[in-house]
Amino acid sequence: MKFKQLGIFSKASVIWLCLVIFMVVFGQWIPLPQPTNFDIDAMGVGLFDSLKHPLGTDSNGYDLLSNVILGARPSMLISLISVGIGGLIGSTLGIISAYKRGKLDYVVNTLFNIVLSVPALVLGLALVAVLATNPDPNIEVPTSRRVVVIILSLTIVIIPVLGRIARGATLSWSNREFVVAARSMGMKDSQIIMKHIVPNVLPAIYAVAFLAIGVVIVVEGSLSLLGVGIVDGVSWGSMIARVRGDLEYAPHSMIVPVVVLALTVIACNQLGDVLRSQLDSREGRL
Amino acid sequence: MSSLLSLSNLRITFDTPRGQLAAVRGVDLEILAGESLGVVGESGSGKTVLSRASMGLLTMSTAHRSGTVVFDGQDLSTASREAVRDTWGTGMAMIFQDPMTALNPVRRIGSQLAEGLRVRLGMSKKEAKKRSIELLQLVRIPDPEKALRKFPNQLSGGMRQRVMIAIALACNPKLLFADEPTTALDVTVQAQILQLLSDLRKELHMSMVLVTHDLGVVAGHTDKIAVMYAGEVVEYAETKELFTNVRMPYTEALLNSIPRLDQKSSGRMAVIEGRLPDPTQQEPGCAFASRCPYVQEKCQVEHPELQKADNGHEFRCHFPLGVAR
Repeated sequence: MKFKQLGIFSKASVIWLCLVIFMVVFGQWIPLPQPTNFDIDAMGVGLFDSLKHPLGTDSNGYDLLSNVILGARPSMLISLISVGIGGLIGSTLGIISAYKRGKLDYVVNTLFNIVLSVPALVLGLALVAVLATNPDPNIEVPTSRRVVVIILSLTIVIIPVLGRIARGATLSWSNREFVVAARSMGMKDSQIIMKHIVPNVLPAIYAVAFLAIGVVIVVEGSLSLLGVGIVDGVSWGSMIARVRGDLEYAPHSMIVPVVVLALTVIACNQLGDVLRSQLDSREGRL
Repeated sequence: MSSLLSLSNLRITFDTPRGQLAAVRGVDLEILAGESLGVVGESGSGKTVLSRASMGLLTMSTAHRSGTVVFDGQDLSTASREAVRDTWGTGMAMIFQDPMTALNPVRRIGSQLAEGLRVRLGMSKKEAKKRSIELLQLVRIPDPEKALRKFPNQLSGGMRQRVMIAIALACNPKLLFADEPTTALDVTVQAQILQLLSDLRKELHMSMVLVTHDLGVVAGHTDKIAVMYAGEVVEYAETKELFTNVRMPYTEALLNSIPRLDQKSSGRMAVIEGRLPDPTQQEPGCAFASRCPYVQEKCQVEHPELQKADNGHEFRCHFPLGVAR
């Protein structure tokens, strides 16, 4: 699939995600006002009103552009890491349990269902409350520890989501005759899984993983909004959380991070769909 | 000739919600080295289960096997899983019914062919590629080097079945199971594939078990034929003997239901009335009694044993055809 052949919507998604990746990698070297330094002379500057603050400032005088650009890294890293680790663990569990069937499958599937039945936000809240707080309120919990706990809780949320996709796909693929054929040639189970099952199951996992990145960005934002995310640092979710009281007099300060977040999620979903339709259809596409 | 595979009193049952389903009920068969055997029967007569069970490919927890399977002097019913796996590919190999589903759609032909060679024979990448090309030539695929780089969906059905045959032959098996190898193919391609199989069998001195529901398919391509009905062998003889001296009414009914060119095209095709007996039940009489045109009282109450005539012709009938009754 060449970039040229993509629809306009997918092209826009690719370009937007490239921009986000650029922000993640090079954001800190772009000469911008400090995101955590407020400009006392320019509080609540509107969109495109000032050259110094192209996207305006919120009612505290924080520069929105620099917050958006520097907030990309925590938001994207948290979601990429948790989807990556969660996807790896989940699909390994899902594939092995579906291939082996029996008791192992029963146990793994029950665990998946239990974790799925806990709402992601509740799980995140609970984990942060237990693992990333200090009994003495005067001692500050370091941000890095919070980030780790947030990644951990999002990973736990992702494991059953991708695990069940992998399990379902494996169940249908491992009943196919080529698996029996490979066995009849004397292949070991591990070889069959790696060579025959995984290449067929991967497309489904890719596609859902892309969708999951979108979901996780939103959940991370919601955690920040509830005050358990990266409250003192910079992330898209924490931006939304910080300005939620100013919606009446500085609506653009809410709109900017929300639009950035929404565009990223939509772009991820779009590319997930394109990937799925591309990778899924090598068979019988005439 | 020595016996290569011998099944004795092989029984396969499956656990189902309706009780025990006996798919194969006490089959004794012997396949000699270099011999080809046709296993014929209608759908549900247990022929596919028989071939898969002989290889030991039925591993689901609901399948139960009793009786013995001796392959090349080794009792597979008591051997360890590893020992059984060691016979796969190099000892016994199988060609599957549908080449669409038996090839992995996301991998190139070359890597699927080389897999058996590398895993089972420990060949290097280069050797495996060379051997793959030879194998594709053996199954008469034009331009084999190009075919190695193709995906299964880029080949026609007949070509795919040739690839399946090449994969099965990769490790020089002594015994090849062909499970309805032509069912998913066009009639013209069918003839080519069958011819190819019997040519290869002679070239490579293999034994072959050809499973099919079409007596016409096995007619010219096997030394012996076993007719199966309701999980039992009901007639077993050399191919020529079977076609000239049919003993079992079921075999006769099968022969009658093959469409003929000299039939009126407007006429109805001959069918065998009725259905197979319920495989979860064990009836006291002959399994074919309810559909047999020559049925008599004895057939309903007494299960016929396999009788053996002097020329090796075996049949399971109280009142065999062509014999004074």
